[in-house]
Amino acid sequence: MNMAKVTIKVNGKNHTKTVEDRTLLVDFLRDELKLTGTHVGCDTSQCGCCTVHVNGRAVKSCTMLAAQANGASVVTIEGMAKKDKLHPIQRAFSECHGLQCGFCTPGMIMATAGLLKDNPNPTDAEIYKGLEGNLCRCTGYINIVKAVKMSARLLRGGKR
Amino acid sequence: MSAKTHHNHGPVGRVEDARLTTGAGQFAADWNLPGQLHAYFLRSDRAHAEIVSINAGQALKHAGVRAVFTGADAVRAGYIKPMHTLTFPGKGGMQTRAPDRPVLAHGKVRFVGEALAMVVADTLAAAQDAAELIEVEYRDLPPAVQPEAALAPGAPQLHENVPGNLALEAEAGDAAAVAAAFATAAHVTRLKVEVTRVAPNPMEPRAYIATHDARTDGYLLHVCCQGITTLRRHLAAYTGVPEDKFQFEVRDVGGGFGQRTPAYPEHGALMLAAKQTGRPVKWVSTRSEGIACDTHGRANIIDGALALDRDGKFLAMRLDWVNDMGAYLSPASMGHIRNTSTCMTGVYRIPALYASYRVALTNTNPVSSYRGAGRPDIAYAVERLVSQAAAELKVDAAELRRRNFIPPDAFPYKTPTGSTYENADLPGMLEQALKLADWKGYPKRRARTETRGKLRGIGIAAVIENTGAGQAAKDEVEIALDAAGNVTVYTMSKSQGHGHETTFAMIVADALEVPLARVRVRQCTPEKQHRLQGNHTGGSRSTVGAGSVCHLAAHKLIEAGRALAALELAVEPSQVEYGKGLFRSRDSKRTLKLGDIARTKPVSVVAEGKFGSTFPNGCHIAEVEIDPDTGAAEIASYAAVDDLGTVINHAVVEGQLHGGVAMGAGQIFGEHVVYDRGTGQLLTGSFMDYFMPRAGLVPAIKGAEHPTPSRVSPLGVKGVGESGCTGSLPAVANAVMDALAPLGVGHLDMPLTPAKLWHAIHSARPRD
Repeated sequence: MNMAKVTIKVNGKNHTKTVEDRTLLVDFLRDELKLTGTHVGCDTSQCGCCTVHVNGRAVKSCTMLAAQANGASVVTIEGMAKKDKLHPIQRAFSECHGLQCGFCTPGMIMATAGLLKDNPNPTDAEIYKGLEGNLCRCTGYINIVKAVKMSARLLRGGKR
Repeated sequence: MSAKTHHNHGPVGRVEDARLTTGAGQFAADWNLPGQLHAYFLRSDRAHAEIVSINAGQALKHAGVRAVFTGADAVRAGYIKPMHTLTFPGKGGMQTRAPDRPVLAHGKVRFVGEALAMVVADTLAAAQDAAELIEVEYRDLPPAVQPEAALAPGAPQLHENVPGNLALEAEAGDAAAVAAAFATAAHVTRLKVEVTRVAPNPMEPRAYIATHDARTDGYLLHVCCQGITTLRRHLAAYTGVPEDKFQFEVRDVGGGFGQRTPAYPEHGALMLAAKQTGRPVKWVSTRSEGIACDTHGRANIIDGALALDRDGKFLAMRLDWVNDMGAYLSPASMGHIRNTSTCMTGVYRIPALYASYRVALTNTNPVSSYRGAGRPDIAYAVERLVSQAAAELKVDAAELRRRNFIPPDAFPYKTPTGSTYENADLPGMLEQALKLADWKGYPKRRARTETRGKLRGIGIAAVIENTGAGQAAKDEVEIALDAAGNVTVYTMSKSQGHGHETTFAMIVADALEVPLARVRVRQCTPEKQHRLQGNHTGGSRSTVGAGSVCHLAAHKLIEAGRALAALELAVEPSQVEYGKGLFRSRDSKRTLKLGDIARTKPVSVVAEGKFGSTFPNGCHIAEVEIDPDTGAAEIASYAAVDDLGTVINHAVVEGQLHGGVAMGAGQIFGEHVVYDRGTGQLLTGSFMDYFMPRAGLVPAIKGAEHPTPSRVSPLGVKGVGESGCTGSLPAVANAVMDALAPLGVGHLDMPLTPAKLWHAIHSARPRD
């Protein structure tokens, strides 16, 4: 068994762990750091439940090894709210009823944050494309798309 | 309870959202217990084979491995007889032939993905590595994959005690009356449809931890499920462990859709491992495992015929079903027959009905409830027949429905298959839907679409379904009040995304006239599991059942409080008024806060109720555009008018409809579990191959309510969880068939993939 010593900054705090070198980033977050808000919904990198930000980019954390994230800065869903103040995207998902069971939600929120960083004012079609890699089984996506649009408005400094 | 205003709750956000949007949810795989071991299942890679031998010698020697279990262990423990619900007599008094299913396959494997060994190790990686060292010698047998073929003479036999692979033959209605009506019919429409096998795929993969307490010989199971009462009953039946030896821990559940109701073999296998090792044993399913062995849904073939008279009035309908149950009967298999006969007449007055059912076992994964559990299947069969009849008779599809609706004054309506529909206003619903969808303006929209070189179709479905009733003796809800005036509501129903913590809290807050923040809802909590009864959440029943009892319990609390307040206020209870969280003496005007009555000790009441079926109904109208060059279809518009009785939380109800409509559309346009017919290999075994609906599949839904409040529930509510897909399966399919009709395409089965549509378009012979 080959081990790897990995240091990753997660939600602003450095963590150094020695893990099996085949450890995926998502398992590092969940099992080593107990950050269980990042979920695993598939085994083929389709569902997007494990989406986090690595150096500012939305990444499916099941698609990279923890060792590949060595030295990187990672933000997970647990790092989105500032103390008790929800991130505007978190607020928008709740206010638009863009979640039901909530299992896909952390990934959806992280993917939305990535999408809106690249495109602060997306059209419906751009949202469909931007969320192609995130599956939800409960909502039918209609309210998720609404939530993304509200998020975009809030992040641009606008009102709901 | 007002249908419109809930003064205690604004429109924004659910109680659950605070934790679910911040990563603080507690799903089953998020649990870890001290000293836990990890299980990995070795699964059959073939559809049908004898297990000649299993050699786990090398696996046991692998570093970190604690134990390996096989079918022999399952048989020794007696974990072999899963519960099933086909307990009613079939045709000619036939009894269901139910095969055994050891929690690990013994002697034979009967579908790809069936677990036949389990490795338990210190780490998941060690268990997985060791499983690769298990040597299995198989003797392949020919598989029976397609259900009609499985029922044909000479088909390979799955089980010795199920001759002809026929588990049950059943019937409903009056065959002679139907035959007589068909003999006099002016027109008969015939259509054979398949409601395809699909994978429910809630986003949370299954995950369990089993822990055994040697002192009490009891089990603690951390699970994802739809309610512990049904799961406990199934597990006790499967394992012989008495119900009072089970304790469960279940918090957030990432979707269910019926699939998370039953006991699974993995529960039992983990119990064996926990008992033998004395350690908690954890298992988390992968998605691919889930698609292979979490129960599938639908999988019905329906050969239908509808007889009409000269005026387009329905005379009779006959449906012959083949129900593919997979290799073993699942605990919820009943729905495929009972729900489909309960709603067989649809929303129509059809004087004569007859249905036959042949329940087939095949070398495929077992089939169980999936959002609607037969209700969407029957709606699909009936509504496809009706739209096809309209097309054949060149009658407007809405007009043919209008002519045949059960009129409002005929409710409660006793159907020819023996169920009683509670209430509905079908003509009113139809007119509202036609207006919402701008039915009259359709020709113009179609012409516009055609100028862009595309095809356009419109489809309508008017549907009704039974919801609410459950198998538990009753639903019980406990409300506990503390001195601060906070109330905690305990229920055995279990949200899997439905938002019970919000909706039930609204019901109680409204009844007590206190702010929503005062009310906390707790579901399936360990300390109440052996004290409260109740149904699991499934069959669109929880607001009808547990929700109604929340309302009763709140009023019971007020009555209990009135008596206590009377003592303190030194007046007769009849002289105590209650409102807005205050007890008030009529004479002295002295008041007590709600919490004051719990100052010396907490006050707790338990209310109960048992409710029959409510019948939500709706009219959905879909329009699709199809690009003939690619075969790609898009939903151009979707209008849905639903009678869900009184609505408690409009956002939550709308969300249920959205999700249901998208699931139905997903099944129409792409979802399909495919087994190779020759080998029984699973060809859609991951999200790489299995079509899942994505954002944009249903761009928007124009929705409206047309309520006729239920009298079954004191709240007036009807079920909603399954309504969306019951309406959308037929509405969307009818729209596609309408678009293709001018080309002479008569019938296509779901999934209506671009390839299938392209092929149909390009091989069609245009009508003159």
